[in-house]
Amino acid sequence: MKTQPPILADKLLKWFCAPHLLEDIQGDLHEEFAFQVKRLGLREAQWFYWRKVLGFMKMRYIKRLPQKYPKTNSYNPDMLQNYFKIAVRNLLKNRTFSLINITGLAVGLVCCLAIGLYVWDEYQYDRAVPQFEQVYRLTERQKQATGLYDIAVTPGPLAPALKNDFPEITETTRVGAWSGLLQYQQTAVEPEAMRVVDASFLSFFGFKLLKGNPQTVLSAPDEIVISEAVAERFFGKDWRTQSVLGKTIHYNQELPVRLTGIVENSPARSHLQFDVLLPFKYFELNDKWSYNWGSNNYHTYLKIRPDANVAAFSQKLAGQLKKYDKGNETPLLLQPLHDIHLYSDFDFGTDWGNHGNIRYVRIFVIVGLIVLLIALFNFINLSTARATQRAREVGVRKSVGALRSSLIAQFWGESLLMTSLALGVGLLLLNLLMPFFNELSGKVMAVPFQQPVFWIAMFGILLLVSFLTGLYPAFYLSSFRPVSVLKGIFDKKSGAGFRKTLVVTQFVMSIVLIIGTVGLYQQLQFMQNKNLGFDKEQLLYVRLKGDVSQKAMTLKELLTKRSSIASVSATTSTLVNMQNTSYIEWTGKTPKNEFLITQMNVDADFLKTTGMTLAAGRNFSTAIASDTSNKYGTYLLNETAARRMGWTPQQALGKKVNFWGLDGAIVGVVSDFHFRPMNVKIEPFIVRFRPKERYFNLLVKTRPDQTQRALADIARLYKKFERNQPFSYGFVNQDLERQYTIEQRTGQLLLSFSILAILIACLGLFGLATFTAEQRIKEIGIRKVMGASIANITSLLSKDFIKLVLIANGIAFPLAHYGLNHWLQDFEYRIGIEWWIFAVAGISAIGISLLTVSFQAIKAALMNPVKSLKSE
Amino acid sequence: MKRTYLGEFEEIVLLTVAVLDGQAYGVVLMHEIVEQTGRSVRLNQVHSALQRLEEKGMVRSEMGEPTNERGGRRKRLFSVTAYGHRTLQEIQEVRVSFWSRLTHPLKLSV
Repeated sequence: MKTQPPILADKLLKWFCAPHLLEDIQGDLHEEFAFQVKRLGLREAQWFYWRKVLGFMKMRYIKRLPQKYPKTNSYNPDMLQNYFKIAVRNLLKNRTFSLINITGLAVGLVCCLAIGLYVWDEYQYDRAVPQFEQVYRLTERQKQATGLYDIAVTPGPLAPALKNDFPEITETTRVGAWSGLLQYQQTAVEPEAMRVVDASFLSFFGFKLLKGNPQTVLSAPDEIVISEAVAERFFGKDWRTQSVLGKTIHYNQELPVRLTGIVENSPARSHLQFDVLLPFKYFELNDKWSYNWGSNNYHTYLKIRPDANVAAFSQKLAGQLKKYDKGNETPLLLQPLHDIHLYSDFDFGTDWGNHGNIRYVRIFVIVGLIVLLIALFNFINLSTARATQRAREVGVRKSVGALRSSLIAQFWGESLLMTSLALGVGLLLLNLLMPFFNELSGKVMAVPFQQPVFWIAMFGILLLVSFLTGLYPAFYLSSFRPVSVLKGIFDKKSGAGFRKTLVVTQFVMSIVLIIGTVGLYQQLQFMQNKNLGFDKEQLLYVRLKGDVSQKAMTLKELLTKRSSIASVSATTSTLVNMQNTSYIEWTGKTPKNEFLITQMNVDADFLKTTGMTLAAGRNFSTAIASDTSNKYGTYLLNETAARRMGWTPQQALGKKVNFWGLDGAIVGVVSDFHFRPMNVKIEPFIVRFRPKERYFNLLVKTRPDQTQRALADIARLYKKFERNQPFSYGFVNQDLERQYTIEQRTGQLLLSFSILAILIACLGLFGLATFTAEQRIKEIGIRKVMGASIANITSLLSKDFIKLVLIANGIAFPLAHYGLNHWLQDFEYRIGIEWWIFAVAGISAIGISLLTVSFQAIKAALMNPVKSLKSE
Repeated sequence: MKRTYLGEFEEIVLLTVAVLDGQAYGVVLMHEIVEQTGRSVRLNQVHSALQRLEEKGMVRSEMGEPTNERGGRRKRLFSVTAYGHRTLQEIQEVRVSFWSRLTHPLKLSV
């Protein structure tokens, strides 16, 4: 039997033992092993062997002999210094190219970083909430005759019922939207975002109470908490030093409430925006109308135990609503807190507050990457195009013994150097452009220079970008065969196909961006100029606050007499994004065709003031007794409502309906008009005529060019009715436009980025054109000598590039059509994609590139052939 | 006295090398020492002693013949240099002179 010492031990020895000692030591060990096998047996000997091997693990045996000859190392400081020197010389020698490369890359990086900051900011929403990961909002998916609707509000009694039934829930809080007027002594404030909240609200979301007792605040029905901003308006800038707690504030001029706390202004990165908080208790006690299972009025938030199984919990929750409210099949859904900011797309405006939109975040990310990619392609193109100039260097290095790996490292290092320069310039630019970018995006951001995470990210980007830019050039340049390049044989065409592909890709991306931008602006124009079904010009609204709302009619009479004002109508809302919806009963209604209808209360001058037209029937009239009756309602429907009820406008006339518990008849049908943004279809609408109920607004139609006078008149007259409160008004068309802020922002951002994209792409083209012109300088000289005209040569040089741009057009059109179409699906009312958008984008891309290329081409064509041909 | 210091174990190794007269290498040396002195000696100790002795110039080494037991690896054969001989001699002389000066020669304890 052949006995072997343990192989693993031998391997270990071989690994650590210095090579010049190995033979001797290993031999001795083996000899000893053979001896021990005879003496002790195999097993013992093997143990012995292991111990012996380990015994040799000493510095004495590990230390290697010093090398006799110095090793040539590609990474020793001298070589690195040489690489660096060559890189810098190359940069300086080809100033144009270096400039193009660095500028392009820097601009690309700026775009990418700016967008990165934006996206990062979007994802930071609500992160400050304690136990952020365990917070959910309950939503419902309601089934109605016209489809499924997601709504973000749930019934008031739901939160305590769930808390009672599910041990998984640790905490709940409810938030409801409210409005009204607050008055403290002589100052009145109309809060922008009044919220009705549970006592747990502040601790649930981690909002800090600046004054007041966080344990007891909002637990009694007559309390109120205001934000810093509101406190400043009530008590002046020095509210912190005053004792303001316990002061009485009047809500809607009737209900006195105690100020028990001042809360910090709601953080910018929170989906909850509020400035006044009222206790839920009060509404629970007094507002039976909305506090029941049939009415969805509140956001319900839950905190779930960290160890709970969320999937199982949401399963249980889905059918829970029918246990509390018989016959209610609507499923309850959980929306994680981290989704609320970006993924909230709810119907009927049930989600208040401003939100981001994941779709636009995605568009921005794509645009940022496109711009960066275009810049990267420039870099790759220019460094491979100029490969001839580096070929000799590669040849020499290889012949004196450089390995391919060290050449790859060298070229990669060069791209690292370039990228670092570009990143440096980019960060500087970013810092300078930040105010501009903030204006575009509507955010308040700064480059987080002091955060270590930022620098780590920058380092990562630096490595990634230089890896990508250097990848192809490094392998391409290091692949040259020294024999042929040193002889001067060099295939000038090599890599040209790759370069062309990159140029085409660049232009495809730029053209897609241009088309996207033009399309977006078209849609925006369309939305802002579409005939809404009423005349939004010279139309302004005046809010009626407090007492004035009771004297609306008197004020209206006075205003109508002014020569600057054409007509006035008292209403309950302002025609902009109306949300007040309810169910309606009519003869022939079945549970299947039930729908929600949006309502507003107006007076007889409403149609005249807004310029709406009747499709059938008549307008309201104060002269007809039944119109103003207390016991009987008179209604106008819009065409959509009539259609949903199964009637043509003519058929609808005289039909009986019951709305808000009041029987009534339809006297007319108004033509459809837009009362919500263009993303949604026109929904059913009902116009009520209840002159004895409260109105909250006056819609005022001014005479042309009399707006200033009209405003002065209104201000003067308004003061007669209400001394203490400021007169607040707005223009309907401005408010309508504000609905499309996010589209406008996106449009502006997209416009800036597509301009940059095409600019960078052209920069690359310019570089390539310069390079070709340089390369073909002799050919051009000869052609000129032979009689070629300047036009000949210009077209010769431009032709190739323009061909590429044409190909890019061909690829870009279908892509852009697809993308634009996809985006337009978001809007119920949208433009058709017209051919001229493509024509504009294509022609402008060709035009710009022609301009870029021909500049170089003409320069080359004008060159004196004597100069280019005299030396060889 | 100007003399390289020699440790007790090194001295024994050096002596053994001298005794084995040109046939000394790691394992044999170890076995010889174990036999003669009865103490347990590990191979790595022998090797490090040999290395130190070689650094001090008291032994020299050359590669010998490969054998089967060694898996075809060669031995490193050690022999004592002139300097090594002299050192051994000196040590011996110093000891002898001390022994001779003993007034009451030591008796072996019974």
